Amino acid sequence: MINNVLRVAIYCLVFLSIQVLVLNNIHFLRLATPFLYVYILLKMPVGTQPVRLLLLAFFTGLVVDSFTNTAGMHAAACCLAAFARNPLINLLAGKDIPAEGIPSAALFGKGAFLRYTLGFVMLHHIALFLIESLTLFDPLYLVFRILGSICLTTLLIYLAEAFNLHIPTSNES
Amino acid sequence: MRKLLDFIVGKRHWFLFLLLEVIAFALVYRNNAYQRNVMLSSANVVTGHLSSLSGSVMAYLNLRELNHELTERNGALEMEVLRLQDQLEVLAADTAAFHGYIPDTAHLSAFPYSFISAEVVSNSVSRLSNYITLNRGALDGVAQDMGVVSDRGVVGIVSTVSDHYAVVIPLLNPKSRLSCKLLRSRFFGTLAWDGRDVRFASLEELPRHVEFAEGDTVVTSGYSAVFPAGLMVGTVERLGKQDDNNFYALDIRLATDFATLSNVRVIRNYTQAEHRLIQQEASEND
Repeated sequence: MINNVLRVAIYCLVFLSIQVLVLNNIHFLRLATPFLYVYILLKMPVGTQPVRLLLLAFFTGLVVDSFTNTAGMHAAACCLAAFARNPLINLLAGKDIPAEGIPSAALFGKGAFLRYTLGFVMLHHIALFLIESLTLFDPLYLVFRILGSICLTTLLIYLAEAFNLHIPTSNES
Repeated sequence: MRKLLDFIVGKRHWFLFLLLEVIAFALVYRNNAYQRNVMLSSANVVTGHLSSLSGSVMAYLNLRELNHELTERNGALEMEVLRLQDQLEVLAADTAAFHGYIPDTAHLSAFPYSFISAEVVSNSVSRLSNYITLNRGALDGVAQDMGVVSDRGVVGIVSTVSDHYAVVIPLLNPKSRLSCKLLRSRFFGTLAWDGRDVRFASLEELPRHVEFAEGDTVVTSGYSAVFPAGLMVGTVERLGKQDDNNFYALDIRLATDFATLSNVRVIRNYTQAEHRLIQQEASEND
């Protein structure tokens, strides 16, 4: 439990800093911006109470918002993704996952984890970009922006996964 | 009753979800209504400090290019001084000087603008609504609705000010509207950004009989009391797409490179309040 709180705190610090200081400035081909900070929410233990997950999502979203001057947009998108997370896990990975298990390719199986990641990221990004373009609508460009950003974010999440393999997770230690 | 309570406790994350979404959307809405809210913006002290930290690191990385730019600018100004000196000498030689004349300065109004130099601590070009944060605030004399320019051209208008930081709405924001004119033919229109390319903006509401050539200079019109007239904005790139048959729109290549922005000047206009007031009065009397 303590171990898990510590892990989440470190994740928040590391991934929010990376997001705010580096990734927010990336604008690949004037199209795609990766939002790696959803990784924090993605890697919460399977059995996390929905209430805690939502509060954490709102908090991380608000932090990113305050740096990008988009009050509320990231918070709204994160809450939506966090809300849909448990049904998504039940749907894709079945219900027989231990509650302390942290979502990973080893726990879910490769295909299921990819689908889980894609589903989660897609939900977040689509919500985020739709809220953002309420002020300015340009459908085709919007679709390209969403697709590009989803690809970049997923790529970075898998990169983070590759580094993460060596760190013992809370249920092992 | 018990069942209802059980239901509510069991589904409490649903209610929390709805509550949080409502809060988030309220924030989005508020942000749109008042442009910015100071609490959750980079004018905030904590985020401001962090941004200025990363900004100071970035400033070092940009030094070489900046130096180059400054040298160039320096050279241009030196040429200007020389040219003016030359002119002065010619005129002085020409004029039969009469030292008994004391010019009447009472009717000559003072130049109403001054500037405050500032450094960019956070900047974005990648989003639809971009904002720039400066390290000068109300204590340094920056106030809302002041114009901001870089060495190369117009940057934007100050929207929110805290004690030590100010947030600028740059030209690269759909909320920004700037009155501009073509330097050669004096036709004026409104400069707006369509959210696509950070190098271009479009000059809209030009009459159909506008005369222009590619490469024509676009400058501020001076109608808004934010900027003095004649500040460089950009050059005409091509005829843009028109939404309306009665007006032309031109694509303008912006003079300011927003992606490498680091040093800017905030323009203070002493007559702005008066200008505002009389315009307001006129529209009220209407």
